[in-house]
Amino acid sequence: MQPVVHFRNVNKSYGSSLAVDNLDLAIEPGQFVTLLGPSGCGKSTTLRMLGGFETPTSGEIFLDGQEISKLPPNKRNVNIVFQDYALFPHLNVRRNVAFGLELKGMASDAIHKRTMELLSLVKLTDFAERMPGQLSGGQRQRVALMRALAPNPNVLLLDEPLSALDAKLRQQMQIELKSIQKTTGKTFIFVTHDQEEALTMSDVVVVMNAGRIEQMGDPHTLYAKPRSRFVANFIGETNFIEGRLKAIDGGLAAIEWNGSVVHANLNGQSPSVGNTVAAALRPEAISVLSQKPSNTIAVSGRITQSIFKGDHTSLTISLNNGQSVVAQLDPVALSAVTGDDVWLTWRENDAVVLAD
Amino acid sequence: MMVDSSMTETAKVSPRAGPSYAGWIGKLVASPLYAATIGLIANSHKTRLVLLLAIPLVWIVTLHIGPIYQMARISIMDNYPPAPGGPVYTLDNYRLFFQEPLYFMPFLRSIIFAVCVTATTLIVVYPVAYYVAKVVKPENRTRALLLLLTPFWAGELIRTFSVIMFLANRGAVNVFLREIGLIDRPIILLYNYFSLSFGVIYLISLFMLLPLYSAIEKIPSSLVDAAADLGAGPWQRFRRVILPLSKDGIISGCSLVYLTSIGVFAAPLLLGGPNSTIFPEIIASLFHGSSDKWPEGAAFSILMLAVSLSTVGLFMRVVGGRTVKLM
Amino acid sequence: MRSYFSDFPKTALQASYWLFVIYLLLPLALMMAISFKDANFVAFPIDKWTLKWYAQVLQDKQFLEACLYSIFIAVMTTLFATIIGVWIALLISAEGIMARSVIFALACLPAVVPGLINAISLRIFIRVLDIPTGTGAIILGHTVHAVPFVVIMVLTRLRSMPNNLVDAARDLGADSFVAFMRVTLPYLVPALAGGMVFCVLTSIDDFVRTFFLGGYQTTLPMLIFAKVQGGMSPEINAMATLVLIVTAAIGLYAEHFTRRSRM
Repeated sequence: MQPVVHFRNVNKSYGSSLAVDNLDLAIEPGQFVTLLGPSGCGKSTTLRMLGGFETPTSGEIFLDGQEISKLPPNKRNVNIVFQDYALFPHLNVRRNVAFGLELKGMASDAIHKRTMELLSLVKLTDFAERMPGQLSGGQRQRVALMRALAPNPNVLLLDEPLSALDAKLRQQMQIELKSIQKTTGKTFIFVTHDQEEALTMSDVVVVMNAGRIEQMGDPHTLYAKPRSRFVANFIGETNFIEGRLKAIDGGLAAIEWNGSVVHANLNGQSPSVGNTVAAALRPEAISVLSQKPSNTIAVSGRITQSIFKGDHTSLTISLNNGQSVVAQLDPVALSAVTGDDVWLTWRENDAVVLAD
Repeated sequence: MMVDSSMTETAKVSPRAGPSYAGWIGKLVASPLYAATIGLIANSHKTRLVLLLAIPLVWIVTLHIGPIYQMARISIMDNYPPAPGGPVYTLDNYRLFFQEPLYFMPFLRSIIFAVCVTATTLIVVYPVAYYVAKVVKPENRTRALLLLLTPFWAGELIRTFSVIMFLANRGAVNVFLREIGLIDRPIILLYNYFSLSFGVIYLISLFMLLPLYSAIEKIPSSLVDAAADLGAGPWQRFRRVILPLSKDGIISGCSLVYLTSIGVFAAPLLLGGPNSTIFPEIIASLFHGSSDKWPEGAAFSILMLAVSLSTVGLFMRVVGGRTVKLM
Repeated sequence: MRSYFSDFPKTALQASYWLFVIYLLLPLALMMAISFKDANFVAFPIDKWTLKWYAQVLQDKQFLEACLYSIFIAVMTTLFATIIGVWIALLISAEGIMARSVIFALACLPAVVPGLINAISLRIFIRVLDIPTGTGAIILGHTVHAVPFVVIMVLTRLRSMPNNLVDAARDLGADSFVAFMRVTLPYLVPALAGGMVFCVLTSIDDFVRTFFLGGYQTTLPMLIFAKVQGGMSPEINAMATLVLIVTAAIGLYAEHFTRRSRM
């Protein structure tokens, strides 16, 4: 299938600093794609280049197979939902939504029909005559969304649209956004720095760092098999296992760590034996035992801190080599207390070898 | 898709009450004529920038700088219009100013007068601005301010006229004083420095009021509370917190009042007397009537401009402000 | 005791405010009162009241002509000053403009040059260029004076405008001209209203520039000036009162409008 959006070798620099570094990205139609990364990683610049508000320093951007990188925003069939919504303060809700349709030269009746349809989709028909200043944050968000959808764009861009909302409303909007994306079948490109938001809504997450793509994939893969230290750290909490690679056995790497040899999934990497390698291990993948298990490899340590967090308890365990490991456990099943000596174990494939 | 082809009746008003859309804009933008003219400019970055730059810059250069440049040029001519054979450039016009006390003294008087007016206005208006900005309850503030603004919507001449009637020999003040038996004969209030200052302050105190008001209003009340909490009495609070924080307003207000009062023209003609001739009248007389002394007039104007602007610059340097807000 | 001390400045401040209000309003109020005086000379006390001065003023052809002429000049001035002022403000706020502060300072120049000097420099300027004194010269002079104020008001408003409103309009299919007409201009309305009223009032009121640039036709301030110099009669009071009521009404309405539409 032809990608709906295709960045090819796109660079964007401001003076001497490189905001987007040789970006190559193809997005399939009908997907909910999230660009995820810390501030300054180039995700917003990427979005703005697609919207037409920035011109790439070099490279090409294709929309439906057409090269668009030099077109002004009004000549591109993409629409954007801004972080602060950018609703026109002098127009009421109805006129805001109709704005893009008016510019297409549609007849008044058709504009009205389409506008009201869209407003009813987000249950805002009663608010059609209100001014933006009279709406709540969530309502403004919905109006901005419908305004951007009204001209029927190929791709909808969303620039951190939920960041101004409080936590409860944000969760509700995440679900709503996802369902609107499903019903309309449009390609959504969503920019955020919030990993939870990215995991909740996306079909595909693109993790960006320093202007480059670190990793791209579905949320589950990104979480379970991060490719780099950056991704492992940015998405969820992680322990790092660092040691000399002793052997490669089947799909597993044998790493010398804390006085024993532990195993980790190779994760598509091919490190050379004898070098130092790192592997990521999620806290919830760790089992904490009071006695050394006989049938599997285990690492010993002492609990130095125990923090109750409601649905789980977070244990900090100090290993003999001076490193600390964090483990998450079901508080009900837990009997260990601070100061206890324990053994840590995990399924071999839950630890994954990283590229760096 | 969305673009509708059946758009025959644009002017048709929708039957529903309310809905109104400007779909014609879309058709305008789509029309070939538009695309060839405005659309071409509106979509190209470079042309737009040139167009944005060109007209305002031409305006500023010709009409904001041009007149002052011409004035400076004529001020160093020996004659205007120049005698046949081209103008002779000389500094005599400037030399004349310093040699002739008839010009020099009124100039000095003008400067001193403007400084005095500025200082008086500041002292008179500061408590008023402070009262409106901080003491009056927020909901009444607009009304309190409007009461002060309304008189300024009357014109310069009307206000000057009202001051004449107020201070005249048979004007309100004298009649009142005689009625209550304080005086037998009218006191001369008009056509001297008193009436001139009274009138000029009457004309321009708004320029002090507005900058002071907006500067004082911006001072957070919590700062004054904090100063009180740390042991500052009313005077200390004013001296150490409010006054320094309203410095911007003082600088703007004083600069505006000074620059305006040094250039007032109608008021001295109507309110001043033979003993209070100030410089603007002298300059104006060089341009009017039979004595067509334009180069001298231009030279004096340049001197006045230079002195007034450099006084303001010096004042801003001394008080320590960097920017002047005009409104 | 403490409350007494903290009360004292408040009472003093209140007194200073009301004294100042009296200072501002009393001369104008008395001037208006004399316009109803049934006598041929301007003086207190007022023994008999009449409306005849108003009847006389409203039939005074000279006055009515001066009014119309002043209004014409004010309207033209406002038109030009608004267009040029907005244009300069847009230039100053445009992205990637070099020497922004220099342009701003030069744009404000006519507002900081003392009025008389400004008028004289314009008089010299039009003579050098061989432009005759008269209506065109007056409009030019008034416009030069009004432009800086429009620039400042519009710039202040533009600064409060969210950056991405124009981006949003562009994104929804507007080219930069349409975006300006449909988004930026409506956003500027309060500033424009304020600026335009300011232009009208300063132009109608302007004496010094008209004095130097004017031709034979008399504007309202010139007429009042001539009448005041020529000798006083309550007719001038009636004239001044009428003008004052109209200008104050325009000012109050504008104030009200700007406050209401400030969102």
